[in-house]
Amino acid sequence: MTEKIKEQDLEKKKSGILQAVKEFVYGAAAHDSARYALKTRASMEHLFILITMGDMLGVPILPPYYSLRLLPYVVPQISTWKRRMLREKDLMDALA
Amino acid sequence: MPRLKNKDTMNSISLAKTFAQNPDRRYIMFGGKGGLGKTTFSAAAAYHLAKKGFRVLVFSVDPQASLSDIFEKDIFGKGPTEIMPNLFAQEIDADQRVKAYQQEIRQKILDMYGMDKIPDEIESYLQAAAAEPAMEESAIFDEVVEIVIKKDYDYYIYDLVPLGHALYYLSMASVYDAWISKITQLREQMREYDQVAAVVRREKELSEDAILNELLYIKERINTSSSILTDKKKTAFYFVITPEEMVIKDTIKAAELFTKFDVPLSGYIINRVLPPELRQQNIPEYLKNRIAMQDHYMKVIRDTFGSQILTSVPEMERDVTGLPMIEKVARAMFGNSA
Repeated sequence: MTEKIKEQDLEKKKSGILQAVKEFVYGAAAHDSARYALKTRASMEHLFILITMGDMLGVPILPPYYSLRLLPYVVPQISTWKRRMLREKDLMDALA
Repeated sequence: MPRLKNKDTMNSISLAKTFAQNPDRRYIMFGGKGGLGKTTFSAAAAYHLAKKGFRVLVFSVDPQASLSDIFEKDIFGKGPTEIMPNLFAQEIDADQRVKAYQQEIRQKILDMYGMDKIPDEIESYLQAAAAEPAMEESAIFDEVVEIVIKKDYDYYIYDLVPLGHALYYLSMASVYDAWISKITQLREQMREYDQVAAVVRREKELSEDAILNELLYIKERINTSSSILTDKKKTAFYFVITPEEMVIKDTIKAAELFTKFDVPLSGYIINRVLPPELRQQNIPEYLKNRIAMQDHYMKVIRDTFGSQILTSVPEMERDVTGLPMIEKVARAMFGNSA
């Protein structure tokens, strides 16, 4: 039984050291936070476009006169958005 | 032309008095079913106020506008046009505005991204959006905001489209306001995420969220409109009715909706009343019957709306077109002291 405990201890120590190395070298926590924040923003960006430009999918929401006003700002995202809309089902979940 | 004397309307405040007692009500609207006299009353009220020395703009939000007809002058899409001293009329050409707007957007895109040509995808979106029926209505909505923001006039008279659309406009304001708030919140949340990412990466620079500013601009536009329309002190809304069964029924329903949207209803004006004195003359049976029917519905109106009835206007002997006839209607509406 002590063998098992020794093994578990060793594993813990290994992973602990590895983790510390990771954190030290890659600034993993910071990196993950940034990635997460950007990923969420990207999702929200797309959600936002859906809401304001929803009439592309036949879901009119903002008065067309006003949503047209926002068109210049979302021009770069329009083709990526369309592609993503046709792929991602979690956007639909987010809407629900 | 006989002036109608109705002892019951004498009990209530007259239209002239209600104007005099509420000098801050600078936004006037006549609403009601199509064909009952809204445009006539809008023109006559504008005439009355202009004669009193106020600078008045009467404008139409009806795509099939009849202000050009009533003033016998083509004013469609020509901006505010002077009809007589102090009296200006405008028929909004929504089509023209939408086209100009599309061009503005195109130019903005070309400038922002340094493009020579609009990408096909974007162009087809622009065309599709402009073709939507709701685009015309929202373009008119924005044009109206544009007009009232400038504060060039003492009085603004909105000649509203037939009843259903009027309520749509009024409801639009609050619905869109709610949506904009939601979207703005979403956008501000996104900005927070931006800030987290930026801090973590030690970025000092945060690009200004131009979209958030656009949303706030849109919110401001919509708020301007709804704050005016729901402010009892600033706005007077008069329902035009005639002594007919369906009109009365529909008006009651509409009044309920107005309460729901918090639009202050200032009173009712009865139009197209056949002068009861006709009875004394030798008239055909069918006219006698019509007058009897009218008597009945006048009673229904008095019983239903009571002291909210501000005045009665008789049926005119001919079409109300041109300033002389408009003056006649103004006198009938506001009294000879006008």
